[in-house]
Amino acid sequence: MLIRTRRGWEIPESRVTPEAVMANRRAVLGLAAATIGGAAATAARPALAQPQGAAVPPLPPAMRNTRYRVERPITPEREVTTFNNYYEFGSHKGISGAAQRLPMRPWTVKVDGMVEQPHEFGIDDLIAAMPIEERVYRLRCVEAWSAVVPWTGFPLSALLDRVRPLGSARYVRFETAAIPGVMPGLRQSWYPWPYIEGCTIEEAANELTFMVVGAYGKPVPPQNGGPLRIHFPWKYGFKSGKSLVRITLTDRRPKSFWETIQGNEYGFWANVNPEVPHPRWSQATERVLGTNERIPTQIFNGYGEFVAHLYTNMPNERLWA
Amino acid sequence: MIALGVAFLVLAGVAAAVFGPAAPLGEVIYHLAPPFLNTLQAGVQRRLAPWLWDDVLLPVLLAPNWVPFAVIGALLIALGYARRRGRRR
Repeated sequence: MLIRTRRGWEIPESRVTPEAVMANRRAVLGLAAATIGGAAATAARPALAQPQGAAVPPLPPAMRNTRYRVERPITPEREVTTFNNYYEFGSHKGISGAAQRLPMRPWTVKVDGMVEQPHEFGIDDLIAAMPIEERVYRLRCVEAWSAVVPWTGFPLSALLDRVRPLGSARYVRFETAAIPGVMPGLRQSWYPWPYIEGCTIEEAANELTFMVVGAYGKPVPPQNGGPLRIHFPWKYGFKSGKSLVRITLTDRRPKSFWETIQGNEYGFWANVNPEVPHPRWSQATERVLGTNERIPTQIFNGYGEFVAHLYTNMPNERLWA
Repeated sequence: MIALGVAFLVLAGVAAAVFGPAAPLGEVIYHLAPPFLNTLQAGVQRRLAPWLWDDVLLPVLLAPNWVPFAVIGALLIALGYARRRGRRR
């Protein structure tokens, strides 16, 4: 007898929204957005202002990858784009206006270190060269709030295939832009800028690890990490570095920004686990952006079947914080 | 109050000697307790007002480490002398 256990991301076919309903909903929403947007565009809303620098071209069409499904509704775009952590712009959630100063074009990302073919990519060339798709992922912040976001991007593994990591590469280091005139947080020179994050080469090669260039069908705005960020959906959000300018393959474990400042609370692995509390609060539940509903948190943020095997036989590692 | 002011001036001198006269106060605090300023900033910006950090506390933290102590010390000494004069009248 075949006993089939439902996976964390699966939902019954009966609960899938019919395509016609979804398309009609989008049309209605689009009309409403166009009507309201026209009136609102002139209002002083820095969160919706255009980023500085050259114009950001629209994304190429991206099909949704239905392998990665989420049982919760997508969080409204406005919630996701106006409630942000981006410490280079401040320690509060309302940094979206200040983040518009980040020039999104021109933008390059260097991929170097232990690779056969180090390369510096122009962001638009990179987008054109990569297999762009949309994935709906859960996002779980270490601060116990969460969202469901339709990201556009490509697997990190596709980028690594281009540069061909050497066999000696064990880790990947992600470096965020640090632009003093644009990012007021950098005035606090005592912090270990630039923002650094890292993962193992196995985590980087995992199918879930996603390089994000868009959200909600548009280029990802700067407050959400535009023009290019990484996203590890099974880890707490701070692991997913924003506005990346350099990706380095190395044989040394990178020491992250938060690990340097407060390593006992924000470690290297930072996998989501509801049973391991943060030193100052519980991780058992999470507040859903948009509804403020409090729901149970899932181990690995519900992605255990994709990633749990990465962490077997690691008794000496602090995998959950 | 004058004695307290003198103590602050001494503290300013010690801080300048130990950490160097140009090191910002924030750098010294970070050196002594790395998570403290981050926690303080988050508390101030999220629970009070973002500008309170950016426009009030950050300029103090960016000043050379001895300056805030020296300013407080000088103020305390001046206040102490003013009170002493007031009592004589």
